[in-house]
Amino acid sequence: MPQRPRRVTVTSPQTRLAHARGRARGRWRVPRLDPADADRALRLYRRQRAQALRALAAVLALLIGLPAVFALWPQAQEVRVLGIPLAWPLLAWLPYPAMMLLARWQLRRAERVEDG
Amino acid sequence: MGALAAVALVVAGTLVIGLRGVAAMRTTSDFLVASRRVSPLLNSAAVSGEYLSAASFLGVAGLVVKDGVGALWYPVGFTAGYIAMLILVAAPLRRSGALTVPDFAEARLRSPLLRRLSAAVVLVIGALYVVPQFRTAGLVLSAVSATPYWVGVVIAGFVVSVTLALGGMRAATYVQAFQFGLKLLLFIVPAVWLVVLAGPEVRHAAVHPVDFTRFAADTPVSFQVDVTLVVEEPTRVRTGEGDVLRLRPGEHRMAGGTSAVFPEGARVPEVRGDAPLDAQEWARPLLDQEGDGHPLVGTWAVLVATALGTMGLPHILMRFHTSPDGRAARRTAAITVALLGVFYLFPGVYGVLGRVLVPELYLSTATDTVVVALPAQVDTGWAGALVTALLTMGAFAAFLATSLGLVLVMAGAIAHDLLPGGLRRLRVTVVGVAAGTVLLALPAAGIDVGVVVTWGFTVAAATFCPLLVLGVWWPRLTASGAVAGVLTGLLTTLGAIALALFGPPLGGLGGLLVTQPALWTVPLAFAAMAGVSLRGRPPSWSRRAMLRLHLDERRLEGPGGPPPGGRTAGGR
Repeated sequence: MPQRPRRVTVTSPQTRLAHARGRARGRWRVPRLDPADADRALRLYRRQRAQALRALAAVLALLIGLPAVFALWPQAQEVRVLGIPLAWPLLAWLPYPAMMLLARWQLRRAERVEDG
Repeated sequence: MGALAAVALVVAGTLVIGLRGVAAMRTTSDFLVASRRVSPLLNSAAVSGEYLSAASFLGVAGLVVKDGVGALWYPVGFTAGYIAMLILVAAPLRRSGALTVPDFAEARLRSPLLRRLSAAVVLVIGALYVVPQFRTAGLVLSAVSATPYWVGVVIAGFVVSVTLALGGMRAATYVQAFQFGLKLLLFIVPAVWLVVLAGPEVRHAAVHPVDFTRFAADTPVSFQVDVTLVVEEPTRVRTGEGDVLRLRPGEHRMAGGTSAVFPEGARVPEVRGDAPLDAQEWARPLLDQEGDGHPLVGTWAVLVATALGTMGLPHILMRFHTSPDGRAARRTAAITVALLGVFYLFPGVYGVLGRVLVPELYLSTATDTVVVALPAQVDTGWAGALVTALLTMGAFAAFLATSLGLVLVMAGAIAHDLLPGGLRRLRVTVVGVAAGTVLLALPAAGIDVGVVVTWGFTVAAATFCPLLVLGVWWPRLTASGAVAGVLTGLLTTLGAIALALFGPPLGGLGGLLVTQPALWTVPLAFAAMAGVSLRGRPPSWSRRAMLRLHLDERRLEGPGGPPPGGRTAGGR
């Protein structure tokens, strides 16, 4: 049985040179946008920015507000619910479901902006 | 021995799953970002797996024992970081088509200088973050078995470099998704077991903390690192060798590697540099780490560092590039919030139980080991040993997962951004970075993991966070503005860290702002970036470069940017 010839890649000398140099970085290109795409991108940018500001305000309210509540209302650690100081579950557990709901809301709104 | 077998199991699992990912990997893109074909659910499990490090698995519970319930603000900030990411950067960053943060910097601003500066920042953040991981791997192994510290460090370095050098990011995605499941299970089941088995008295004591001023029983304390104790009453302690040591009132230095048994009823000494375990202070839901009297400011400082720093962590950002498109990247961030939220319901359980069952860990400053120390306190039989082994397994999985991502991203910064390189050089660099980390971690047994990791977050928050947020949302950002802002954030934060490490001890608000500099370095970096940008003029394409990041993929040609044959202008 005749031996099968080895398969080789056929490339031009320039390609071989380019491969030898490595192409990890790629060349920088001036960003392009079709006029129609540019309009759409501008609309999306403005709507996403408005939504982002609303969502950021909600996050800040939680992260600045809850410590401030604890500082202004130190009795939270005296009040007990089922024997546990009220402040503990407010800190250890409450923020997580709140943040999950916030993430879901932000995701829905951001995707709706793109679908619309 | 059970604990060692558990660690061997994790290591073997990591290698097997890692090696399965070797198939079909040819280009740098395959290696770094798994050819961008990872689904949101798998990717968010991998993100969470990578993110839940030793600081989350062990550190938070340890901080609760040492600093009080307020330490639970750390995981709140860790999770909030993903909401910030979801809102601000996830989708646009993916659409930029860049592989790494330095790539993004160059694509958006066309500044090779900024690219190299970003690569250097990646190395700083990576070192601050990965050395504590390797160090904790060594400490936990030596705490649960008789192995010396260096063995665990070397094992960690070996497994990380083999997995990455052979499999790259594709391997890491599966490994980390697997490890997230493992960690979740190994954290939740023992927590429930501990609460049930602890019994009603311990549970009652746990929610009614008292001052830790007298030893309730003869209490052995082993010192892993050098500690200076401040003794107030003459105390007779038995040393590990069986000698009786009389401690007079005053300061006593306990050398690392020794142990001592404090008798029942003796007054608990204080640790120099740490606040005493006062019940009222401990139960307060705010962070007052050094006892500097500004708990509200201290809490905000930690929240700013962790929430904004998460956005700038280079190994996490790279994970978002493995999503197929911007929408998937956004979904990944949202699912990650949910996955982390489940995990973080439990560190408080370990911390509160540790405060009542093993408060003496405070004396050795080794509160990091509270999670693995607890099972033996509620059950001295085989069940306790088994749970200790399971928790050790989870902790080791935590170091491995985080270290995999960090070593990869550091190798990427060197081989991809600082030097021109292909796949082979990246593989060699991975091994080099792992070896370098082992060498840095070997003499670092005494460092405070929580502090060093938080510094890593602060550097990220003061450099990459402004770069990404302004790069994505502000068309007027210029390259020189970005360089100025990143330099300002990097130098001020490193300066504050140097002052905290080598400067005189500062009390009060000044000391707080030096040890937790995020509250002023992050706004300063934003201000420098915006100020210098406003003085210059952005190039004519700057607005297009920004708007492109907000255009959904259906309008962009092909995945990940324009086709390779597209019109080109300029060059390097």
